[in-house]
Amino acid sequence: MRLTRHPILEFDRGREIEFEFDGRKLLGFEGESIAAALHANGVRVLRESIKKKRPRGFFCAIGRCSSCLMTVDGIPNIMTCVTPLKKGMRVETQRGKGSVPLAEPSSAGPPPSETKRGTDEVATIPLAIVGAGPAGLSAAAYAGRMGVETVVIDENDVPGGQLIKQTHMFFGSREHYAQIRGIDIGDKLIANLSDLPAKLMLGTTVLGLYPDRTLSLLTAGRHVRLRAGAVILATGASENMLAFENCDLPGVYGAGAVQTLMNVYGVVPGKRVLMVGAGNIGLIVAYQLLQAGVDVAAVIDAAPEVGGYHVHAAKIRRAGVPILISHTVLRVTGPDRVESAEICRVDDHWQPVPGSETTLSVDTVCLAVGLTPNCELAFQMGCRQTYMPELGGLVAVHGSHLETSIPGVFIAGDASGVEEASTAMIEGRLAGLAAAEWLGTEFDADELTRLRAEAAGSLETLRAGPFGAKAREGKKKMLSSMNEDKADSK
Amino acid sequence: MRTNADCVIIGGGVIGAAVAYNLAKGGMTNCVLLESKYLSSGATGRCGGGIRQQWSTEPNAQLAMDSVRIFKTLEEELDTDIEFLQGGYLVLAYTDEDVEQFHKNFELQRRLGLDVEILQPEEIATRVVRQLNTDGVRMATYCPSDASANPFLTTKAYADAAVKLGVEIELFTPVTRILREGNRIVGVETERGIINTPRVVNAAGSHSVLLARTVGVEIPITPYRREILVTEPLERFLDPMIISFSFGIYFRQVKHGSVIGGFAYPDEKPGFNEESSVDFLTMMSHKLSFLMPALKHVKVVRQWAGLYDVTPDAQPIIGETDGVDGLFQASGFSGHGFMIAPKASSLLAQLILGQKPDLDIDRLNVRRFSEGDIDLDHSVV
Repeated sequence: MRLTRHPILEFDRGREIEFEFDGRKLLGFEGESIAAALHANGVRVLRESIKKKRPRGFFCAIGRCSSCLMTVDGIPNIMTCVTPLKKGMRVETQRGKGSVPLAEPSSAGPPPSETKRGTDEVATIPLAIVGAGPAGLSAAAYAGRMGVETVVIDENDVPGGQLIKQTHMFFGSREHYAQIRGIDIGDKLIANLSDLPAKLMLGTTVLGLYPDRTLSLLTAGRHVRLRAGAVILATGASENMLAFENCDLPGVYGAGAVQTLMNVYGVVPGKRVLMVGAGNIGLIVAYQLLQAGVDVAAVIDAAPEVGGYHVHAAKIRRAGVPILISHTVLRVTGPDRVESAEICRVDDHWQPVPGSETTLSVDTVCLAVGLTPNCELAFQMGCRQTYMPELGGLVAVHGSHLETSIPGVFIAGDASGVEEASTAMIEGRLAGLAAAEWLGTEFDADELTRLRAEAAGSLETLRAGPFGAKAREGKKKMLSSMNEDKADSK
Repeated sequence: MRTNADCVIIGGGVIGAAVAYNLAKGGMTNCVLLESKYLSSGATGRCGGGIRQQWSTEPNAQLAMDSVRIFKTLEEELDTDIEFLQGGYLVLAYTDEDVEQFHKNFELQRRLGLDVEILQPEEIATRVVRQLNTDGVRMATYCPSDASANPFLTTKAYADAAVKLGVEIELFTPVTRILREGNRIVGVETERGIINTPRVVNAAGSHSVLLARTVGVEIPITPYRREILVTEPLERFLDPMIISFSFGIYFRQVKHGSVIGGFAYPDEKPGFNEESSVDFLTMMSHKLSFLMPALKHVKVVRQWAGLYDVTPDAQPIIGETDGVDGLFQASGFSGHGFMIAPKASSLLAQLILGQKPDLDIDRLNVRRFSEGDIDLDHSVV
């Protein structure tokens, strides 16, 4: 079902077009994701799992989880949650692993040239930033202020990262964009770049990062190389899955996926939702669901208290949505999509309490159970990694200037440890400054010192208080890990 | 960790694991296998898993043919699945040199009794594989009994079977040096202590050179990086391994459905470099999508590199070392250790157990290089 009226958003949809799904003609809007168009048409099952032939829908909606692979125009394994819909597209439910299109004409062209290295062209740039979210855009702005030429690469066609779906206002002080909605912060961050030597390279996937800081890019269907003097990885995080019976059933979505569907494409995820997770994301998305006219059956959390801000919790309680602490989801049921969810209480040891089971009639279960940093590029490059639960899992070891164990490679935002957009922006600034310093560009050293001190102060403020405790602890441990490394290498 | 053993095998690749198994099977069960990381962490786990019998020298061809015979019943013998499949090998010729060499190979291989045949380019589509672009192909040889298997599963199968027979396997146990007294081996020193033993099998791939040096022995093995990549899985469409020496490529579809393949840069510098390069990714994509245009839509999911332990004649070094009693070499497999592991390991075990090997492997002894009479194998990818 599509949203037509929303208290905050106006949906500027593209041209209405016809496309084909398993032989049926359906209508969608040009440029929206294939998965969103299908969802709006009531299609939740996108593929069958390879081994057990179980129905699968999407889960993350941002091109991370591979749950939405379908066959499009005869080509298998297309990530439909991030592939824009085009007129006349032939979309098919993918069963099995997908087959190579056999009828490929032998338009192979000339054979590849001699087996020699270094035959492809390589473009160069002083600073490449991977990810055009809050961290990446802030890094570009601050590196730019130091006179560094930058390209910001993002696989999405729209910059802003996850800000583009955050309709809520941010907290904090004005320098952290408080009282502004996430959707508008992205625009401001992009506007900040207008007079700086920063270029956006959108719709571009970084396939790999190689030892001499060469990035392998897929852009507009072509493979290109870019050699960077320094690299900042601002690749964000991926949504966590929760293991319970039938957790792969279509209708079990990540909280970010629900936001994307609802706030970017104006498609509601279902009629009645169970929200799992009472941290800030769970509470905020529950409220956004209510704003979109969707019924929220309950917000549950296994922890014995609400993890998010009380002001968010109060808003949804006022709307009559129960928040059940010390509760978990046991299973969901339904033939090929969620029709109900069974929840229960958990005891002090997180174990289900027998006899406390309740079945909720819901068609969607939204998981807001944390994020995991996207560190693949850092690890591929050989950056030392460490497991840091406070920061969301495996993270590249980094110092207070966001430098990793590999010279010239920096990391910022959720990729360096899961926090919030506000801290991501400040980390981005610090990484931008550090990259400029490392590149040895000519700049005003006093200005750099001043900006760095200012940013470090902001981070401290943002991480102060009980809600910043985990990040504070994680970053402290990280710093000592980095210092140990430095001591070792001396 | 045992402190006394009848034999210590250094290297937890397919060779080391298979030697351990064959020794234990032959009665020498008090063996210890030492591996610096984990099983298959070296060249074995990085290889393409092909099992080819089409070689240009008799020892390589014979070892490979005998190995296929063993592979055919290995799953039964070791009681586990190793994804063995006789999907054949299609070898493509593009140049005059190829054509000439292929005819020679064909003669040799037929003489040895291999079911190899010569195909004309137009026969490839009907006989072997439909989706192949044969532009520029002069001829091909095809051997339907050539095969493939999963290197990880094979190594684990050998290792598990060895342990069942009494062998001890110590992982994450780097060897610091081999211990020698006079002209005989007396033990192995590891980071976790010393094992006394009269016999050592040096099966550490490219690192064998460094180990041999700890007892003053030089073996002519040069490490060369070889890169490889794998795609997302697809429904089965390709049974044979497809290779070409002059075009420079090998690829096959593994059981899981992924296409795995690589090629060698002729100008690759020797050394222990195991980094992946973007050059390889690009060139391999070009080559694959030229030979099989339909694959241009398929995503590469991973690339990595491993080391070929190359000898001057591209044939392995197997046997006892002159002047150092009890030091057995089993390395220098030059990129085809996996496919000949079953036979090579069985022959070496026979030698160690004091039996007469059922195939003459004296010509694979390291002394051949000082005698200066070598027979280079041309059929190396």
